[in-house]
Amino acid sequence: MTRQGKDKASAFVLAAPLLILLCVLVIWPIYLGIRTSLSNDLLSEFEITPAGISNYRAVISEPNFWNALRFTIIFAIVVTIFEGVLGFLLALAFDRKFPGKRTLFSMVLVPIMIAPSLMAVMYRLILNENIGIIPGFLQNFGWDISIYDQKYIFYTLVILDAIQYTSFAFLLIYAGLQNIPQEIYESAAIDGAKYHQVVLRITLPILKPALAIIAMLRLIDSFRTFDTIYILTGGGPGTTTQTIGIYIYKTAFITGDFGMASAASVILVILLAPFMPKIIKQFRLDVK
Amino acid sequence: MKRNLWATFVIGIVAFVLMLPLFGAIYTSLRTDNAIASGPFVWEFDHGFTHYKNAMGAAGYDFASFFRNSILISSGTLILTTLISLPAAYSIVRLGFGGAWLLRIALALRILPAVFFIIPFYKLFTNLGMVDSIRGLVLANTFVNVTLALLIFSSSIKELPYEIEEAALVDGASVFRILRSIIFPLMGPGVAAVGVLTFIFSWSDYLFAVVLSSSEATPVTVGAANFVTSYGVRWGDISAAVTLSILPPLIFATLAQKYLVKGLSSGAIKG
Repeated sequence: MTRQGKDKASAFVLAAPLLILLCVLVIWPIYLGIRTSLSNDLLSEFEITPAGISNYRAVISEPNFWNALRFTIIFAIVVTIFEGVLGFLLALAFDRKFPGKRTLFSMVLVPIMIAPSLMAVMYRLILNENIGIIPGFLQNFGWDISIYDQKYIFYTLVILDAIQYTSFAFLLIYAGLQNIPQEIYESAAIDGAKYHQVVLRITLPILKPALAIIAMLRLIDSFRTFDTIYILTGGGPGTTTQTIGIYIYKTAFITGDFGMASAASVILVILLAPFMPKIIKQFRLDVK
Repeated sequence: MKRNLWATFVIGIVAFVLMLPLFGAIYTSLRTDNAIASGPFVWEFDHGFTHYKNAMGAAGYDFASFFRNSILISSGTLILTTLISLPAAYSIVRLGFGGAWLLRIALALRILPAVFFIIPFYKLFTNLGMVDSIRGLVLANTFVNVTLALLIFSSSIKELPYEIEEAALVDGASVFRILRSIIFPLMGPGVAAVGVLTFIFSWSDYLFAVVLSSSEATPVTVGAANFVTSYGVRWGDISAAVTLSILPPLIFATLAQKYLVKGLSSGAIKG
């Protein structure tokens, strides 16, 4: 429903603030990022000189960059699947009447409202070897394990990520469940279908498009993981839990090499670019 | 009717696990330093709320100012994001401006890793003299939240009946008048959804805050994380500070839970 003619001008005026924001905070920064990636730009030196593609060469031949990328991809896939399954089971459990439903619903949503960095500080508190309640609790059973141990750190991070983000997956899947008409379940019940048959043959197929979007969102978001892991481990022990975000941040603001960090960001975007049109299409954006 | 008590029990355990970090922080914040140091299960509570008093300034931390900064940044972002996105969404949906491609560009931004922007933002904001300022962090957070706001606003405008606007148009009302007197009042739920989500996400920002603030504009997220590294053994004070930091978005979002749920499922996206 488009009004033509004299509304063109008002349409432009109304969208102008957004366009200005996009120019100042997107187009200009993209230009700055690419320019920096082609310069010798060190925090320690005042002068910035052209560097050609040497920063790109340096990043590509840097094992830490590829290790960070590999860790990020594996972590993103594992947490997406884990949280998707947990969120789905939780949504199924919620999809009925039971005492305390409203209170428990509000409680389950609480992690969404907590900043990941503050969550990370609380994790450090409850996991602390001397004063934390988790190690204290495990010691009662004679389990004297260090949760930050290199052997367990990956699993620890996955579980902590699930505590923060399962609620997102749950909420979106639960919203999808509410859209399934009750009649379908009723007719399945009349036909004598068992609960697991209903879930596998009716619920899952209907939810499939919604699940695809949810999985993609979780994948995109876990790819951006920075706060929690940075505060918990700083990317360590060594560089074993370094995400791509931590790698770029540290290269820029700890090592002080803006040129190389920018080159790493540009390479990251180039690697992600082929997937973007497909992801955008999944959202079926339209203006009608 | 079946009582389904098993569901209450199982979901109760899940809810407890999800809230365990918060319970842990509240528990520690209420215990005496002596009890905290003697082990996690020594029950000795501090009846004077010393840790809370320390966190709010009695021990000389800057925490009260971090808290104020977070409130200013989050409310500023909420207002600026709404002022930019609502007219733009109206222009896109009803006046056909830019069409779907503008929404696609906004979505592409959402998919790009935010870390790409930290170095350019640092340089840009240094040039503009906005490093370590509330204004700078409001702008950075608006950039983060504008996609979500556009998607929520455009889907709620699509749901409004066009007839009212048409009638107003026939009566000679201008587009701006329609937006102010008809659309905005009808958009209550959409504005509430954008408001609560933008508030949570800008309160939660850590990456831009750690890059773009150093002392004056530091919000609670960065303040609390630094707290752990600089005062590592003062767990009681840290717990109290973190508990206080979590409260504003928690209270706001619990009161506006309906809109939070609606916004997340209609925008199907998070900042």
